[in-house]
Amino acid sequence: MTIGANVCSSVGAVRANLSTEHAGTTLPDATTEFFESLAVRGHEPLLGNARGTLRVELADGTKTERWLVSVDRGDVAVSHRNGKADCTVRTDRDVFDGLARGEVNAVAAFLRGAIAVQGDSQFLVLFQRLFPSPDDAASTQR
Amino acid sequence: MSGALVQILDGNTFVVSDDRGDMEASLTDPTGLFSFDTRFLSRWVLTIDGQRLNSLSTDDVHYFETRFFLVPGTGTVYVDSKLSVIRRRAVGNGFQEQLTILNHDEEPVELTVRIDAGCDFADLFEVKDALQKKGTYDIRIENGGLVLGYQRETFIRATRISSSVAGSVDKNGITFEPRIEPHGAWTTTLDVVTVLPGENYVRTKQGMNGSRAASMEKGLHRWLAEAPRVECDWDSLRTTYRRSLVDLAALRFSPPIAGRHSLPAAGLPWFMTMFGRDSIFTSLQALPFTPELAATTLQALGSWQGTRVDDFRDEDPGRILHEMRYGELPAFEERPHSPYFGTADATPLYVVLLDEYERWTGDTHLVRALEREARAALNWIDEYADLLGNGYIAYSRRNQETGLENQCWKDSWDSISYRDGRLPGFPRATCELQGYAYDAKMRGARLAREIWKDPEFADRLEREAADLKRRFNRDFWVADEKYFALALDENGDHVDALSSNIGHLLWSGIVDKSKSKAIAQHLLGPRLFSGWGVRTLAEGEGRYNPIGYHVGTVWPFDTSFIAWGLRRYGFKDEAAQIAAGILDAAECFGGRLPEAFGGYERSVTRYPVQYPTACSPQAWSTGAPLLLLRTMLGLQPIDDHLIVDPALPVGIGHLEVLDIPGRWGRVDAFGRGRVDVETSRAIRPQLGAAPRVARNGRTRQHA
Repeated sequence: MTIGANVCSSVGAVRANLSTEHAGTTLPDATTEFFESLAVRGHEPLLGNARGTLRVELADGTKTERWLVSVDRGDVAVSHRNGKADCTVRTDRDVFDGLARGEVNAVAAFLRGAIAVQGDSQFLVLFQRLFPSPDDAASTQR
Repeated sequence: MSGALVQILDGNTFVVSDDRGDMEASLTDPTGLFSFDTRFLSRWVLTIDGQRLNSLSTDDVHYFETRFFLVPGTGTVYVDSKLSVIRRRAVGNGFQEQLTILNHDEEPVELTVRIDAGCDFADLFEVKDALQKKGTYDIRIENGGLVLGYQRETFIRATRISSSVAGSVDKNGITFEPRIEPHGAWTTTLDVVTVLPGENYVRTKQGMNGSRAASMEKGLHRWLAEAPRVECDWDSLRTTYRRSLVDLAALRFSPPIAGRHSLPAAGLPWFMTMFGRDSIFTSLQALPFTPELAATTLQALGSWQGTRVDDFRDEDPGRILHEMRYGELPAFEERPHSPYFGTADATPLYVVLLDEYERWTGDTHLVRALEREARAALNWIDEYADLLGNGYIAYSRRNQETGLENQCWKDSWDSISYRDGRLPGFPRATCELQGYAYDAKMRGARLAREIWKDPEFADRLEREAADLKRRFNRDFWVADEKYFALALDENGDHVDALSSNIGHLLWSGIVDKSKSKAIAQHLLGPRLFSGWGVRTLAEGEGRYNPIGYHVGTVWPFDTSFIAWGLRRYGFKDEAAQIAAGILDAAECFGGRLPEAFGGYERSVTRYPVQYPTACSPQAWSTGAPLLLLRTMLGLQPIDDHLIVDPALPVGIGHLEVLDIPGRWGRVDAFGRGRVDVETSRAIRPQLGAAPRVARNGRTRQHA
């Protein structure tokens, strides 16, 4: 993986930023919660070997929502910036909601064309580590 | 139907055709063009003036290229044709076929040349299980070519067929009507390109062309040139070694999602994918020759390591994957291989490979980079694999519908049985898993102490390993017969059959020294040793069958690890003898060992009988001769040196492996043989024929 250029914004600032953007919504959805909690963690040991930038583009009707995740040996920064990325993941917002809830498997979704990946696809594999397991999803529904 | 199947491949793209170059697949017939576990061409039939062709010969130029020499007309003994047809086919993103027709007559000819083309887009699992498709087909004629398409929701696959010479295209193929002058030739190049959405599937932007074939050929030459050289007075061993290297090159696989380097896939053609167990075992076998395979295996399997509890995929945190597949059924979660984690041995073996890799290469950087993965793997052993709470690794699938019942290397349904043939319930704790766990803990302790600088963790692992060894030698020991039970059943009782698994226990080091002699005697004894290798299940056991997949056949990979195990406990002659048996078998198979062959007594069949449906080449069979070279020379990396302690089978006068790469740079290893003076024949055509070995003038008889 290549070294990402846009690494390490301050976690606090990112969180404030994200919260502001979604201030109008009633309940944070699974996707937003996922990225916010990633931003709050700041360091994610499961991405300890990863370096680079991942852009997530989520189509929601006519809108496209963008997230930019920079990883530097586990240090994670999240923003909505439209920066250059080593890997771009495009999918529908409800598919990503499913990933974030642990209901959709990222690799299977990629194989059936529900997620498109451009660039270094190793990110998708590493990123899948961060999604909850299907059993967690089942137990929260109960 | 014509003769034998011809296979060529590049990565996970491969073509299986008959010896005329034709493909006429049905749901159950495994011919066609395959890529990413999907069939992209199921019909590809050449006719001239409505007639099928007759094969004169096929020439496998390389593993990625074949030439078919054909004449029109079939079924007659006597061929008298004024035409010759050459199909030259090379695999790339699909394949490219150069079709040439030569007119040997004094008169011009006008021909109707027809290629029938069609595709069912079957998933490999559908080919195996004869399942029906759920999507829709679409055939289009575009830009003078043919596009075969298949779609199920967002899952889209297509095959584009085009020709350098314009033909008349219809929905079932292309027709050409060439006129060929006397002693003239006509040629066209047909491109068959597999189309998958997304750039990650595409290895080369353009289809197969001359420069790509040339670069593949160059790559193969470089691969061969960089590998150590083997010199030996037994020609067959040199042939086998070269065959192994070429096959290993063909079996290299760059995982399409993640990674750029190659790791050994499991087998050609149906297992050209990442398998945890197979990739690890093959990497271990090949370490003295091509250590870079191990590095890629460790990195890729580490990236894909389990992080969650997922019952469908039998995934746990820290677990190493069993098998990855890219086709329609895994995509729609009708099969769990995205990836599937149902293996109980790949996880401890991952740590074993990491340590062995560092001992050879000194690559501490990778060991540090994979510390988290290795710790997670070690944690899996105690945290997730101890299903019975008795301190042993056991397995029981959570995916009852499409998961694997037996999650050890003997993964067929009837492989684990009691002496009387009954099958135990679940969970099952097979013996070799405990050996791997012991070895993983011991090796993990070394890595923790020397590289991760965590002496407390190292101490803990060593304490656990010592405790495991003590308990294992008590709990698995079948005292009346003096061997280790194949497994413990769900009640903790012995699954008491005698099996080759006890050889892996020697390799792992878990066997008490005092018990090792009895184990070696069993392995070389008449119930397990066939004269060619070690039977998977001993003759006389309830389910023994000399052509039963895991219940009596000999697996060259299995025997190669047993040879390593025998060396580990000092049984040099025994290791040499079973090495000779397998290398003799390799000679019978032209240097390419199959996945498995019959367990018949050598003196009865005189020739190793290939298992009917064995896949070939199979990566760990390809690796077996490499590991046997290591065991015969007694190669052992110690610090920055390579120790050589040869014990050659009777009949090999000298053996040299030159330019062995490692932390020492490159070194040469020499072994002088022990030519059997009693027979006064310097080199015998078959080394392992006599059921004895000579060493220092001694002859030892094994019961």
